[in-house]
Amino acid sequence: MTAARRIATEVRSYHGFIKFLIALVAIGALASLLRFIFGLGATTNLNDTYPWGLWISFDVVTAVPLAAGAFTLGAIVHCFHIKKLEPLVRPAIVTGFLGYSLVSIGLLLDLGQPQRGWHVFRYWNVHSPMFEVSMCVMAYTTVLFLEFLSPVAERFGWHLPLRVLRWLEMPLVVAAAAISTLHQSTLGTFFLIAVDKLHNLWYNPLLPLLFWVSAICSGMSIIILEASACHKWMGQPNEGVLLRTLAKILPWTLGLYIALRVFSLVALSEGPFFDRPGLTISFALEMGIGFILPFFMFVQKSVRDDDRRRSIAAGLVIFGLVLNRFNVSMFGMMDPDKIYYPSLIESLVTIGIIAGHILFFVLIARYFPIFEHHPETVDYTLPDPLRKIGGASPSLSSAD
Amino acid sequence: MSTLDTTKNHAFLIDMTKCTGCRGCQVACKQWNQLEAEKTVFFSGEGYQNPPAMSEYTYTRIKFRDYQKNGQNEFAFYKEMCMHCNDPACASVCPVGAFKKTAEGPVVYDDKRCIGCRFCMIACPFGVPKYEWSKGLPLVKKCTGCHDRVRGGMKPACATACPTAITYGPRAAMIQEAERRLARYPDRYIHKVYGKEEAGGTSVIYLTSLPFEELGFKKVTMRALPSFTWQALRLVPGIFLTVGGGLSALSWINHRRDRIKALREAEETGTESAEPKEEQQ
Ligand code: SF4
Ligand code: SF4
Ligand code: SF4
Repeated sequence: MTAARRIATEVRSYHGFIKFLIALVAIGALASLLRFIFGLGATTNLNDTYPWGLWISFDVVTAVPLAAGAFTLGAIVHCFHIKKLEPLVRPAIVTGFLGYSLVSIGLLLDLGQPQRGWHVFRYWNVHSPMFEVSMCVMAYTTVLFLEFLSPVAERFGWHLPLRVLRWLEMPLVVAAAAISTLHQSTLGTFFLIAVDKLHNLWYNPLLPLLFWVSAICSGMSIIILEASACHKWMGQPNEGVLLRTLAKILPWTLGLYIALRVFSLVALSEGPFFDRPGLTISFALEMGIGFILPFFMFVQKSVRDDDRRRSIAAGLVIFGLVLNRFNVSMFGMMDPDKIYYPSLIESLVTIGIIAGHILFFVLIARYFPIFEHHPETVDYTLPDPLRKIGGASPSLSSAD
Repeated sequence: MSTLDTTKNHAFLIDMTKCTGCRGCQVACKQWNQLEAEKTVFFSGEGYQNPPAMSEYTYTRIKFRDYQKNGQNEFAFYKEMCMHCNDPACASVCPVGAFKKTAEGPVVYDDKRCIGCRFCMIACPFGVPKYEWSKGLPLVKKCTGCHDRVRGGMKPACATACPTAITYGPRAAMIQEAERRLARYPDRYIHKVYGKEEAGGTSVIYLTSLPFEELGFKKVTMRALPSFTWQALRLVPGIFLTVGGGLSALSWINHRRDRIKALREAEETGTESAEPKEEQQ
């Protein structure tokens, strides 16, 4: 009873915005309950022409690249050894872990037979991109969970697990990057089977590569946005100096993406390209505002050094990525005569999932050391029965 | 798929110029597969056909198409059903392998495996698999090629019921027969054996007098669809090893450089830093 009361008072002390998020999550949960009671046909606008809708387009195809910050940053910090970015790693891992957990929920909601999800382990079909993605998503969620355990172990002072996690850190970072490369690109492979269905503006054999490169761009942009938001609204220190480094890498990856995209369009795709005005506009917005404009912004030092303009450019990349994923998985697949739009319940569930992501991030940041993490300040000096953990030095993390 | 013994691979030869539009096949299919009737409205779909589309209750239907030829009103028909592709897209994308091309020809679906991801519906170039949108835990529905009958040496229900237009037999023989008819009656047909190469070849082969697009045949590639995704997917193990190995090597080199630098600094200053101690462990 007292525990319940403590929780109640704790919740009551939350900011109004958090309470609002809690309400959205509750509504989303209720809506997903309706989906299970009444079935997909009754609660969604899906049909035989549009077997995939908002849940696949946003909750899976879009959310996965948006959660790409963790593996991108992990590789940058640990493999390419740009150590000073370390303080950004933990928030990125938390975001990634939450993102993937929610992707799994979105996928389960969308399955017609969610109780059989485990069949993927039992009946393998290595020719299926869906098989590849589900295996990777599960493996990667596990990796992210292990990485996320570090702040949890610190919070509760579990020293042995901490030591193990420390030792695992590098293998996990490498595994994360390898697994992510696979499933980020395989999401693009999904649509290679939609020959003659996906519009020429997006259908080309390089889709997997394009998905991967744009995921890396969006991963870094999300980190920029997130760190800026945490600084602005959660009273965290301004990481501007670090973000500037990221902003310096971004023009390279964005430039690579644009070059590949132009190449695929000119050399690998078959016309006609501009036969459907709606799609042409969508394409122009995606490329022009979502990738080319931020590329030119990030090239300029004045933009990279300015907190606000840097965030805007990062926001544009996110916009471009989201629109790109929707173009590939939804708009570009549309039949000109029959239009799909998500039902109220579909939309509420997706809004709930987004709200859930922000909510859990804020709550985790509140109770676990994900921001104030600086390896040198962690206290490892408590007795350890197997080996003395103490003596951990500021350089421990760089010397494993 | 290439390991299948294709000598037993049977196919439908559907000669639309001989179809009278009796829809005996449609009824036979409903009966054999115990499919519910659908409530329909006249003039609801693209034309006179009923039901308006294939669905969880309708695995096949005759599409009607009226057109003008030499100032005369004419009718053309088209039997819509699963094409039982030689290398089916539905089977290649299904994560749990619920679809299978059988040696006899039909592409069958195992409803005990299906997890309901509906990727098969996205993949099929002919828009064949349909979903049980009416159910809480829906499954995929499509023409079975009457595999249960074919396995026992019978013909599919629709082929048995058809008085004129459907011939069923070994695929090679059906293609031969189709080409013989084209050569014999060049004026009666559009000169094309549909299904010989479409989507890498199918076990349903059509002859008709009206251009195929006019009949509502979907535009499909001649290449087997699974090859489109496989050209990317087959790289998966290689990419995994390259990225994993590359990053491991990279971080090892970078860390080593760090350690050496620390050691050297320690030597120069003559103090013992924590780094070499870490090394000894
Ligand atoms: S027509 Fe479609 S459902 Fe039938 S075998 Fe070919 S891909 Fe599969
Ligand atoms: S819906 Fe079922 S049969 Fe179709 S691809 Fe998914 S698991 Fe396979
Ligand atoms: S082969 Fe069997 S299931 Fe398929 S359309 Fe004919 S009767 Fe129906």
